[in-house]
Amino acid sequence: MGAKAEVVQPIPFKKNENKALGISLQDAMISRVYMIVAFTALLLGGFLGLFQGLNRAGLLELPHWLNYYQILTAHGVLLVVVLTAFFTIGYFYAALSYNLGGLLPQVRKMAWIGFAMKIIGFVFAVIPILMNEASVLYTFYPPMAASPYFYIGLTLIVLGVWMCAFGAFMNVAHWRKQNKGQNLPILSYFATAVFVLLFFGSIPVAIEVLTLIPWSFGWTETVNVMLSRTLFWAFGHTLVNIWYLTAVSAWYVIVPKIIGGRRFSDTITRVVVILLVVMNIPGGFHHQIIDPGISQPVKYLHVFMSLAIAFPSLMTAYAMFSVFERTARKKGGTGLLGWYKKLPWGDVRFLAPMIAMIAFIPGGAGGIAQTTNQLNQVAHNTLWIVGHFHLTVGTSVVLTFFGISYWLVPYISGRTLTPKINKLGVIQTLIWTAGMLFMSGAMHWVGLLGAPRRTSYTTYFDNATALSWNPYLMFLAVGGTLLIIGVVMQVYAVFYLMFRAPKGKTEFPIAEAEDKEMKTPYWTERWGTWIVVMLLLIAMGYVIPLVDFIGNAPPGSPPFKTW
Amino acid sequence: MKQSVFGLILFFFLMLPPVADLLESIMIFHMHMQMPLLIVAGFLMGKFFLLRFPAFLEKWNEDGIAGILLFVVINLYWMLPRTMDEALSVQMIEIFKFVSLPFLAGVPLRDSWMKLTTAVKNAVIILFSFLFVGLGLVYTLSPVELCNNYLLKEQVTLGWGFLTMAACFIVYLIYTLVVDPSKYE
Ligand code: HEM
Ligand SMILES: [Cu+2]
Repeated sequence: MGAKAEVVQPIPFKKNENKALGISLQDAMISRVYMIVAFTALLLGGFLGLFQGLNRAGLLELPHWLNYYQILTAHGVLLVVVLTAFFTIGYFYAALSYNLGGLLPQVRKMAWIGFAMKIIGFVFAVIPILMNEASVLYTFYPPMAASPYFYIGLTLIVLGVWMCAFGAFMNVAHWRKQNKGQNLPILSYFATAVFVLLFFGSIPVAIEVLTLIPWSFGWTETVNVMLSRTLFWAFGHTLVNIWYLTAVSAWYVIVPKIIGGRRFSDTITRVVVILLVVMNIPGGFHHQIIDPGISQPVKYLHVFMSLAIAFPSLMTAYAMFSVFERTARKKGGTGLLGWYKKLPWGDVRFLAPMIAMIAFIPGGAGGIAQTTNQLNQVAHNTLWIVGHFHLTVGTSVVLTFFGISYWLVPYISGRTLTPKINKLGVIQTLIWTAGMLFMSGAMHWVGLLGAPRRTSYTTYFDNATALSWNPYLMFLAVGGTLLIIGVVMQVYAVFYLMFRAPKGKTEFPIAEAEDKEMKTPYWTERWGTWIVVMLLLIAMGYVIPLVDFIGNAPPGSPPFKTW
Repeated sequence: MKQSVFGLILFFFLMLPPVADLLESIMIFHMHMQMPLLIVAGFLMGKFFLLRFPAFLEKWNEDGIAGILLFVVINLYWMLPRTMDEALSVQMIEIFKFVSLPFLAGVPLRDSWMKLTTAVKNAVIILFSFLFVGLGLVYTLSPVELCNNYLLKEQVTLGWGFLTMAACFIVYLIYTLVVDPSKYE
């Protein structure tokens, strides 16, 4: 990566821009606590991941009181619900506070109530997992039934998230009344989009869970399995795009500032955001390509819905590389590719999101492959899928979050990033990259050879095919071991930056748009209209399968405990 | 002008026999995908007509009312079960569908919408909300097949399609009623 020559002194940005306002102590407290929870979840979830990886390679036999599926449930819940939700909310609340002149007092209160609801919900969900009463994995597909308290916990988490979403909407509405006719600052614009998706995307799962609670209590006898799965993925797929949109916000807005450039066209950025919000929810069907009960033509048409998301993603890729090239050339980079040397590879705040973006190239390509009917038959429910999301969420999204943490945590703590921690971060990023190359690479490959996901170690009575997976699973374990080193370093960096680093002012790095002289058209601000468009597309996507699942439902299923 | 070209491409794409076959094979795709897309194609191509025949449109569609009425009538016509059936069995009617929806609904919509006052726009949306609720009830509750070409089950699906769309319109109307844009813009 040609890095060494050019270790950038990480602390100051160009000083003339964005006078840092500093964040009020009360607003900072919210983001700080959310970050603490997020990175604690990373630490716990990471160790559980390591145990899984070692188990699958046949290196670790789990004790009888802790089974593989229990751990896997906790790993999934901790990393894709707790880590991502808390990071996203903490990050965007800091952005709202910075952009909009502080949070309103009642919004702050809502963020805390939301926090309490999520934590209580989390406790409700974790206790049954620990008692092996909820080893249903984070997708909790019926007819597997967990203890009802697990579902009650999930409901509370959803309600807590809604609290935060409404808080954000109130703050934005308040700002817009005070600043008539102006465009919302870009990062708050992303925040609005993310909270819109969080709210509307979690409605389906809330409905699902409300049917599962009476069922697992035994008050109702059966549940409609296909309906539940569909409602789950309407949410699950949206959640994926929420992470993605959060990461993308940093790529568009933060990264250009860190490399000393300007961000891509404001109008196009907002159009990408609108597209991602509007087209999102019906994409959920690509998780159900193998499911029965959906006719072939309907599945076929849903491939379009799913691929439509590739379009804003490609626009993003174009925008990013255009910003990099322009900035680096301005700094004197020459030649077809020589400009890349001018980028600050030694600055973790750039390096981590940059590798995240690069990882999204194979990640996105794999996603496009999976979403086609025939290839999905090969990849479905194999370790390929697990490799895919460790590359997309576990690398593209999470590395971006890590990169953000190196300025966000100091910013909300009134401290500064030291060169030492920067170096630690660079090494952490490289370790994470290597670990994921091993782990995700091995998962992809062995998945194509047929190794199933969500299966604790077994040789299937020394079946030859199953034995042939072993070498790859060993690579998986090696990758997992590297990753846990990365986890520990990252968590250390976050806590150091929050409580130990030297005091000082850190800037909130927001780049100016390259077309800032041009006024962004106001229709990009009409969220009410965009939400209606989104609802129309959801209606179009879901009417056929839902009418079918409900109108022609087979007998429902009673609850099963399969573990 | 680019828009008009996109509209033309979309129009031809929808005319391709496999595309038309796929979309017409399922009742709700026929009415809620193919037909609206034909209108969209016309809407995009409308730019061309706007540039080409401004005087004509100015004269006949000065305040947009004539155009929107034509749009409504054509839409009403194609929402009848009978006409969908005919489009599938009578070649001439199928051709009429591919001509009327883009050129007699899409183009006039393009020319009219911007000329209409907010009150008329909302009136049009209210009209379609009522219409969709009514048709939704007809299609979901009818105990018999209304189309020879489609099963009862598909008809019920289409009915729910109407009801959910109507719900979206109503959400929009409530939004315009409750939120006063002058507070924000
Ligand atoms: C130390 C780092 C990590 C290691 C060693 C690790 C390892 C693993 C392994 C071995 C599996 C299970 C495979 C199976 O049996 O299907 C797994 C599943 C999973 N991991 Fe990770 N992982 C790590 C980090 C992450 C991160 C950062 C995320 C997301 C942000 C994540 C999300 C998931 C999810 C969602 C599953 C699927 C759970 C399920 O199938 O129910 N992991 N991980
Ligand atoms: Cu998805």
